[in-house]
Amino acid sequence: MSASLAASAGSAACQALQLSDWRQLLAVIWDFLSLSLFSLGGGNTLLNEYHHMAVDQYCWLTSRQFAEIYAIAEAAPGPSSMIVGLLGMGAAVREGPFWGVISGVAAEIAILLPSTLLMVVAALSWNRLRHSPWRVAFERGLGPITLGILFAVGLKILRISDHDTPAYAVSLVVCVLMLRTKISPLWFMTVAGVMGALGLVNR
Amino acid sequence: MAEVAPAPTHWQLFLGMQQVALSSFGGGLSAWSERIVVEERQWMSKEEFITGLTVARLFPGPNQINMAVYIGSRFGGLSGAIAALLGILLLPFSLLMLLGLGYYYLHTTLAVDRVLAGVITASAGMALSMGFKIAGAYSRDPVAMLLAGVSFLAMTVFHVRLVPLVLVAGPLAMAWYWPRGERK
Repeated sequence: MSASLAASAGSAACQALQLSDWRQLLAVIWDFLSLSLFSLGGGNTLLNEYHHMAVDQYCWLTSRQFAEIYAIAEAAPGPSSMIVGLLGMGAAVREGPFWGVISGVAAEIAILLPSTLLMVVAALSWNRLRHSPWRVAFERGLGPITLGILFAVGLKILRISDHDTPAYAVSLVVCVLMLRTKISPLWFMTVAGVMGALGLVNR
Repeated sequence: MAEVAPAPTHWQLFLGMQQVALSSFGGGLSAWSERIVVEERQWMSKEEFITGLTVARLFPGPNQINMAVYIGSRFGGLSGAIAALLGILLLPFSLLMLLGLGYYYLHTTLAVDRVLAGVITASAGMALSMGFKIAGAYSRDPVAMLLAGVSFLAMTVFHVRLVPLVLVAGPLAMAWYWPRGERK
């Protein structure tokens, strides 16, 4: 534990916040609250921002840890983009498991609250919204921007995850299989995990 | 509009969404959601459910969570939405917190480290596939491809953050795609 913390502190100039200090906890909650309404395309567009916050801005995690908790959040059952709970936990877990869980729950609530409130309004007023020109322009206009951002996110995660040729090869094969087949992603992770255990792919 | 059961109470919303979450351990959340909400519990017709999916995808937020919020708020307003949200999140999120604690305390052990080194190559491939998955819908529209390309370059090469990017490119794109004279 302490070894990895030292590594993350050494990699950048910033210092990790003490989240048991409630003012710093509030600042973090505010960051997630203000990102919530920008989670286009199901929330994955925010991954670059999460990486920026967690690795570059606050030093909660190393890039490699970020890649790992992304994988864990993808493998875990339930709705996607619960990664925020793991980010929040990573922000405070050095202060003990209690603070880790509190911070994880707080981060998840913060990222979901604004979009949930907007969704309630949308659900109750959809019949008026559905034919509005705003709806049409929003859907058509933000779609291509979402597409560009998703490519940027995919490239970022690829870069922080893979460091040798076999690793890139596995990622490319998984990408093609994701697009061409309906095999559950859990199989890809299982096979790749075994490859990692056997030392076939390295960092 | 086939026969639709009486509107669910908050407790039923919570239990129904929890059933969705439990059934989908292993994947296929939206398919399970439809099976349970439309077929088993008959809270909604299939048409209503599909409308809900459209709204859930359009608005910001994770799609499946938005769908639960849509279902909950249709029957119970804000408090119904919270009941549905708790139902779909409680068990998966608790499990995730346990996994997270396991990760943060064990990830430096050699075996876990090596397995994770493999697993992240797969999840990177999954992340890479996200863009390709929806690219087909835009490939015949040169303006859309230009917008996508500019957004990609802005983030990747010029390190523009998401919020300013969306605030600048969003209104420009909306102006370009503003419906002119067409009625649907």
